[in-house]
Amino acid sequence: MGATIDIRSLTKTFGAGPGAVHAFGPIDLTIESGSFVSLLGPSGCGKSTLMLMIAGLLDATRGDVFFDDAKVDGPRTDIGIMFQDNTLVPWRTVEGNVALQLELRGLDPRDYADRIRDLLRSVKLDGFQHRHPYELSGGMQQRAAFCQALVHEPDTLLFDEPLGKLDAMTRESIRTDLQALWMQKRPTVVFVTHSIEEAVQLSSTVCVVTPRPGRIERRIDIDLPWPRDLEVKASARFTQYVREIQGIFHDYGVL
Amino acid sequence: MTMVSSSMPPEPGMAARAAAWLAMALRASWPFAAFFIGFFLVWEYSVAIFKIPGYILPTPSQIVSNGWADIPRLLDYTLITGAESLIGYLLAICIGVPVGLAIAFWKPLQRTVYPFLVSLEMVPKIAFAPLFIAWLGFGLLPKVIIVVLVCFFPVALNAIHAFGSLSDELTRFCRSTGAGPLRTFWKVRLPAALPQCFVGFKYAALNATVGATIAEFMGSDQGLGFYIQIATGNMRPDLAFAGIFFLTLLGLALFGAVSLAEKLLIPWHITLRRH
Repeated sequence: MGATIDIRSLTKTFGAGPGAVHAFGPIDLTIESGSFVSLLGPSGCGKSTLMLMIAGLLDATRGDVFFDDAKVDGPRTDIGIMFQDNTLVPWRTVEGNVALQLELRGLDPRDYADRIRDLLRSVKLDGFQHRHPYELSGGMQQRAAFCQALVHEPDTLLFDEPLGKLDAMTRESIRTDLQALWMQKRPTVVFVTHSIEEAVQLSSTVCVVTPRPGRIERRIDIDLPWPRDLEVKASARFTQYVREIQGIFHDYGVL
Repeated sequence: MTMVSSSMPPEPGMAARAAAWLAMALRASWPFAAFFIGFFLVWEYSVAIFKIPGYILPTPSQIVSNGWADIPRLLDYTLITGAESLIGYLLAICIGVPVGLAIAFWKPLQRTVYPFLVSLEMVPKIAFAPLFIAWLGFGLLPKVIIVVLVCFFPVALNAIHAFGSLSDELTRFCRSTGAGPLRTFWKVRLPAALPQCFVGFKYAALNATVGATIAEFMGSDQGLGFYIQIATGNMRPDLAFAGIFFLTLLGLALFGAVSLAEKLLIPWHITLRRH
């Protein structure tokens, strides 16, 4: 089970004086251990900034983030992060890129050979471990980046629109893998997305973030059975959740 | 031939594949080869047809035969100019890369040294050549310094750019692993910077022989630049062209060596470009 993340009156302002941009906040949010929480909002609402601050990669203007009561000051190294633009490096193979996460931590990838193999197999990349990123499709690259983010067995995962640049079919397929992994290991997941359907399908809780300055307008617990396969997605209640969220964005003039 | 090949197992052997490759290369490059040969043929016969005197424009065949007669001196001078270029070039890399690194990573230098370097880049470095000759005399040192001067800027400016432009995502990824600056440098920053560094190295390689030649024009008693100047003064353009030919070979060799190093050091980048 992952950490409980506590966000207390977190505020971010870029710049100072009359030209300052109030990105978001104050935000108060508790992300329970083992939950899958989506930050859902239009682009520019500060949800990616919020994620960076949870990771300790960006300082808050005011407020704090706590991991199981430990205040975040500086980068958290016990988490796995995935960005929209993946962090695969072109000079390493798929396997080497996964190992990079370990090497940067001063770990010996040879001790993790089995884990790397299992991870790659679990996302259907077995047989591609010796290929370079540019030899893979966009979807396969994100799958490799997924393994890179997970290889050190973090129990908290932060995703910043990792499927944003993929085609619909590939997205659907990777969502299924992501969900399977979450159900099996129950890490705490913070998932930034602008796709309503994606948020409803994957999350135990959807936080609807309004446009700048970003605020959490509504916290919606998604009470649907797992796994959320095509059948669940076709159900009336799934559609109801999607409509409800669409309604919120409509009221804000986003939709 | 037919006898031999029929007695061999019918598989596409090395020879067959090499022949196929050669045929393809020939098909791809014959227009260039034809133009190249045609250029020299036109040159050769125009000189005769228009009765241009040899002391104005020699024919390619004169250049080859007269150059061949003076080959020991030409080779000797090629070595000298080559040494000036190579030493200066390597020194420029040894100074330029660390300077670029320091500026990329140390903010105070970005506000002081960097703008200074950029404004110096506007100065035609070669204009300093007579000064260095006046200060340091006719020996190897002033030539090497001038080569360093013309090679340093492309190396340093590209290195600054190379080491200062790691993507936000990769920077954050490295920080989230808790890796220290040194480990991050070796594992990520350095390899990520190499392609852009090589842009500078290649540009500088083109400058190196130019710098050495002009330095020799200014004042020297040996080297290809000296040779070309003396030959021109003696109304021997054929020998001047022979000197230019060896200078070209020198430039090609240096550029080829850098390209080869690039291919060996960052094969992933070359492949990337081809895709």
